[in-house]
Amino acid sequence: MTARTINLNVNGEHKEWSVAENDLLLTELREREGLTGAKYGCGIGECGACTVLVDGQPSLSCLVLAQSVDGCDVLTIEGLARGGELDPLQIAFLDQAAVQCGFCTPGMVLMGRALLNEIPDPTEKDVREFLKGNLCRCTGYSSIVRAILTHRR
Amino acid sequence: MIGQHPADLGGHGGGGPTEHANPTETQMEDFTNTHILVGEFELIEPHTLAQASESLRTHAGEAVIMAGGTDLLVGMKMEHIRTKYVISLGRISALKRVDTNSDLVIGATASIRDVAHNSVVRQQYCALAEACQSFSTMQIMVMGTVGGNLCNASPAADTAPALLALDASVHLTSGVREREIALSEFFTGPGGTVLSDGEVLEHISVPAPSLSTGSAFLKMGRVAADISKVSVAVTVVRSEDRVRQCRIALGAVASTPRRIVAAESELLGEKPTISGISKVSQLVQQAIEPITDVRSTAAYRRHLAGVLVGDAFRQAWLRAGGGEIT
Amino acid sequence: MVPEQQQLHSIGQATWRRDGQAKVTGAEEYVSDITLPRMWHARVLRSPYAHARIVHVDTSYAEALGAVCLTHADIPKIRYNERIVSTPPHLYRDRYVLADKARHVGEAIAAVAAPTEAAAEQALRALRVEYEVLETITDPEVAMWDGTEPIYTNVQLGDQELSIEHNIAVQRTIELGDIEHGFANSAVILEREFATSRIYHAQMETKGVVCRPESDGGITVWPTAQSIHNVRQLLGEIYSLPLHKINVKRVPIGGTFGSSIQMNSVIPICVGLTLKSGKTIKLVTTREEDMYDHVRYPSRIRLKLGATKDGLLTAGHMHALSDIGAHNTQAFAFLSVLSGWWASLYKLPAMKFEGKAVYTNKTPSCAMQGFGNPQATFAVESLMDDLADALGIDPVEFRLRNYVGLGGTFWGQGPSVQSIVLSDGVPELLEKGMEKIGWPGRPVSGSQTGRYRRGIGMARGFHTSGAGAPKPGEVIDYSGAFIKVNEDGTVDVVHALMDHGGGTLDAIAKIVAEELGIPSDRIGISPADTLTTVYDVVTHATRGVYAGGGAAHKAARKVKAILLDYASRVLGIETNALVIEPDETLGQGVIYCPSFPERRITVGALAKLCQTNSWGSIAAVESLRQVNCPPAYVAYFVEVEVDTETGSVRTVRAVIGSDCGTVVNPDLAVGQLEGGLSKGLGYALVEDNSWEQESGRLLSKGFWVDGKTPAMSESPLLEDIDTFFADSYEPSGPFGAKGIGEAATNPCAAAYGNALYNALGIRFTELPITPERIVASMVAAESGATKAVLV
Ligand SMILES: Cc1cc2nc3c(=O)[nH]c(=O)nc-3n(C[C@H](O)[C@H](O)[C@H](O)COP(=O)(O)OP(=O)(O)OC[C@H]3O[C@@H](n4cnc5c(N)ncnc54)[C@H](O)[C@@H]3O)c2cc1C
Ligand code: FES
Ligand code: FES
Repeated sequence: MTARTINLNVNGEHKEWSVAENDLLLTELREREGLTGAKYGCGIGECGACTVLVDGQPSLSCLVLAQSVDGCDVLTIEGLARGGELDPLQIAFLDQAAVQCGFCTPGMVLMGRALLNEIPDPTEKDVREFLKGNLCRCTGYSSIVRAILTHRR
Repeated sequence: MIGQHPADLGGHGGGGPTEHANPTETQMEDFTNTHILVGEFELIEPHTLAQASESLRTHAGEAVIMAGGTDLLVGMKMEHIRTKYVISLGRISALKRVDTNSDLVIGATASIRDVAHNSVVRQQYCALAEACQSFSTMQIMVMGTVGGNLCNASPAADTAPALLALDASVHLTSGVREREIALSEFFTGPGGTVLSDGEVLEHISVPAPSLSTGSAFLKMGRVAADISKVSVAVTVVRSEDRVRQCRIALGAVASTPRRIVAAESELLGEKPTISGISKVSQLVQQAIEPITDVRSTAAYRRHLAGVLVGDAFRQAWLRAGGGEIT
Repeated sequence: MVPEQQQLHSIGQATWRRDGQAKVTGAEEYVSDITLPRMWHARVLRSPYAHARIVHVDTSYAEALGAVCLTHADIPKIRYNERIVSTPPHLYRDRYVLADKARHVGEAIAAVAAPTEAAAEQALRALRVEYEVLETITDPEVAMWDGTEPIYTNVQLGDQELSIEHNIAVQRTIELGDIEHGFANSAVILEREFATSRIYHAQMETKGVVCRPESDGGITVWPTAQSIHNVRQLLGEIYSLPLHKINVKRVPIGGTFGSSIQMNSVIPICVGLTLKSGKTIKLVTTREEDMYDHVRYPSRIRLKLGATKDGLLTAGHMHALSDIGAHNTQAFAFLSVLSGWWASLYKLPAMKFEGKAVYTNKTPSCAMQGFGNPQATFAVESLMDDLADALGIDPVEFRLRNYVGLGGTFWGQGPSVQSIVLSDGVPELLEKGMEKIGWPGRPVSGSQTGRYRRGIGMARGFHTSGAGAPKPGEVIDYSGAFIKVNEDGTVDVVHALMDHGGGTLDAIAKIVAEELGIPSDRIGISPADTLTTVYDVVTHATRGVYAGGGAAHKAARKVKAILLDYASRVLGIETNALVIEPDETLGQGVIYCPSFPERRITVGALAKLCQTNSWGSIAAVESLRQVNCPPAYVAYFVEVEVDTETGSVRTVRAVIGSDCGTVVNPDLAVGQLEGGLSKGLGYALVEDNSWEQESGRLLSKGFWVDGKTPAMSESPLLEDIDTFFADSYEPSGPFGAKGIGEAATNPCAAAYGNALYNALGIRFTELPITPERIVASMVAAESGATKAVLV
């Protein structure tokens, strides 16, 4: 095992991390950067709570080796609101009461954002297909789908 | 991965050597789903395939390959897999290709999503597009690869039946020797393939289908975002109103994804009819060896396999330009 | 009906939830997000055996690595029950912080703490445990056989030792009236056995705790918990610490659904490590550990009901057997509520309930959303449909003839918690539900052919709002609140109540705002801990708004009286002649006299005067035990489509009506119903946390997906879900409100069962109704095997 220095961009800020091979992106974001918006829900890809965007692509940070994001752009939920201004999708989540306990919310919002970046005008089917792997035990999902769809309009 | 329960893999990980670093350390069987990745290893990130092959040779017997890592890292986290070296293919950009100029060529690290989204794949290789689309989560589709799905060799790997039904072959290389084998020869058992130590899957190729070819993939899990209880892919080549060629492959009903050749020949040269299709379904049901596990029962899997084969056949036939089957 | 004069400015308004911005930006801090200076990390060694004596734990290798280790030997020999909601004479104590004997796979045997999580993992692997493996008992029937290995020989009940025979943890028989006579006078009697599954709560956040030692010998604890006060009391009891030395903080929780009603098993482990080492320690479970920590009580229910030919119920007999797993967390209460939900669904002139709760070597069962209600309602509402069928009466009409409504007696928490129903929206729920789903057009059950068949079914139910009653019962139930008006007219509400995400604390703020006549954005909900709040039992039994809100309402009334007294002094107007109303332009509460509107003062100015004149603070603290437990009624109407070849079921439409009294948070109330549908359909159709019979291990091996939680693809399309609320007012609740949360899921499984009956003519009696079961039953039905047992 050798620690290696990697360079990356997290929420628009340049970072230099010294990381070991078995360090995971999720742990580094949470413990090193204090970006605890990405959650541990299962650690093995099943819940989506740890979702972050790596080079714009939704990724499960619990299954990403920190060394492999060398040179990448990482966006976490903390980086979505710019200069204190909520992203319109975050506002839609609040308007639609798509937040209950909130533990799934960072992952849901980032997935919604990734979808809207790709398809600005998604159908309900698109939303359900794109977010199919993100679990929420509180809302029953309807309000989340509504938030993403109303944002579209 | 979820299909990588020890049960699926005969109690062992999908490959890679086991090593006990610390003599006082217990290899835990339960409670291995940790927050962190406990195992220690060296990560090698070559930029060319030649370098990757060389690293594999240097660390023969002590290294595993990583593509998207969605199976491998889960296995390592759960401590089913322990290894000294991980050789990542992630930085070899040439392997990410999805080429549709003549035959379909899928580089080893093309993502499930890139394949699912490719417009030619969606039009001409429907079974494959549907298999990729059926993956349980978008993030896994983005991170996971078709190559990894095949090399992981889970009996429930979703792209496997589709690629089998599309008559795909895999191109393997050790850096010194290259070989191309039919996918139907690739799997040897749960988690097992013919890949020898030091060999890498370089790409997958799928022959371009003729105009009168149709294919379909169907899968059923417990919920939509799940590993298959049963998956089925069918390709049919039509000649007028008769079946000229047919390939049927299933996942999660035997120790490997497999073609059911015995059923494929049933309708050759025939007009497909309801009773003909139900004969095909019966032949499939006789040929498979499903088991009972956490996902389903053997009896139901056998029943479902018959139903899905019929449905997939009808769908493929329609896509091949045939009509409703009565 | 809503009283004419009730005009509300805060209650019933849709607002952004207070913690919403923190939650959408990732700023909200859950237990796992807490980092403190010099914090160590802990991991727990768990038994790989379902039943084994622990012969020896060798910690020497782990200690040599620099870890702090904790074993049974380090723990005070005090047995406890993790859930202290039952009154002391009804409290069964059978567990220690770390086990001396493993009774289920996953039982905590030892723990380690080290400066990093990686070091803790290494230390964990260096622990050596010698086990003497015993016979594994996973079947509750086998558990009761003569000669089966005892899981316990004795436990503690109240302050007595209780010997355990045949692994039976608790038995309970409740009899009212003469059932033999009732059955003798019945035109139809039906009897069936129903089985419900062990499902996993699957709350998104795994359990965690952080514990910090304080220089005065005390500790501060940040746990995942539904009740901070109960956690404090238990820690005090186990570690003989005076309560004023234990401060338990309220931390936002990532879902719970009952999984934290009890003090979570890792909390006292972490505290033990802190007390032993003097370190600040964090212990967060993994998903796999969490799956081995708790499940919903499974049950086998044999139910017999009789009715006259006019469709009036005559008598009922219920046998219930519940496999409680390795610990008795609340089995006594579980049997009580099972009988109670049953007794409160329909008027039974005579009833007999016989319940048994049996220990097995499996994960301990604990309350989960609805606590016994989804189980009882599945059995009762399925059999009610069959009875209606047998009598040739429309199922809805049959229910209307028999349900317990206005003026009836409702058992809010078993036989000792009863009160009279004061509000009843059931007729409205059923009428509107029928209309919305198109009830008259539903097919004749079992009449369809073809591959795809549709069916419409309904079921009704309720949950209690709290566990209060006129008489003291077997359950503790009260809340307290402390409210103070700040010197600028804003208000701090200090309340120990937990919000599980349903918006309970927003509701509390609205209730206080409403009473004080102050805009709700001027009401603050203070961070809470056990040092600064008065007792609140726990957020369970759908009591948050009704009971917790009731206490806040009571304190707010007192604060209002003080405000008016001071205002009277300043304005020279009789107290009785003054009112407080929010003034939109001022953004403040204003106190004035309607007859002399110029005599007015803002709450802010008044509070400031109180301070500058040294009159004192405007504050009150109150406790409240509600003396009612109103039923929050719910009705489900669902339409399904079955693919009879694959056995898969699609929800075509779902209509859910709720009578929660006054709706306090309208959008969140809809969310409760939609969430209830998702969990309810999971319970009905997919979820099952199965065990390996021989080893007692989870088949899922810690993979969440094998618990089969519904995801977005399972929930019906937006246009296919219709939620609505009855026009209802609960006289005993704050501004007419009662509960909603748990009610939302209770009848769901039965509604699916009834819709499937309508589609296929097959009665499903076992949950979950999987495609495997549907296909098998279709085959069996073709050979004429499953017909109701007519006695
Ligand atoms: C939450 C979750 C959901 C999933 N859902 C599905 C699903 O719906 N359907 C499904 O089929 N699978 C599913 N999987 C499994 C997994 O994602 C897929 O199998 C995926 O395609 C694997 O690709 P990968 O690139 O991540 O493989 P990796 O994990 O990188 O590799 C898998 C194995 O193949 C070997 N390998 C990879 N590439 C090569 C190569 N080029 N040459 C030689 N050996 C190689 C590795 O050494 C390893 O043993 C799921 C997994 C998770 C965690
Ligand atoms: S924590 Fe990464 S998917 Fe659950
Ligand atoms: S809001 Fe609680 S899990 Fe989604």
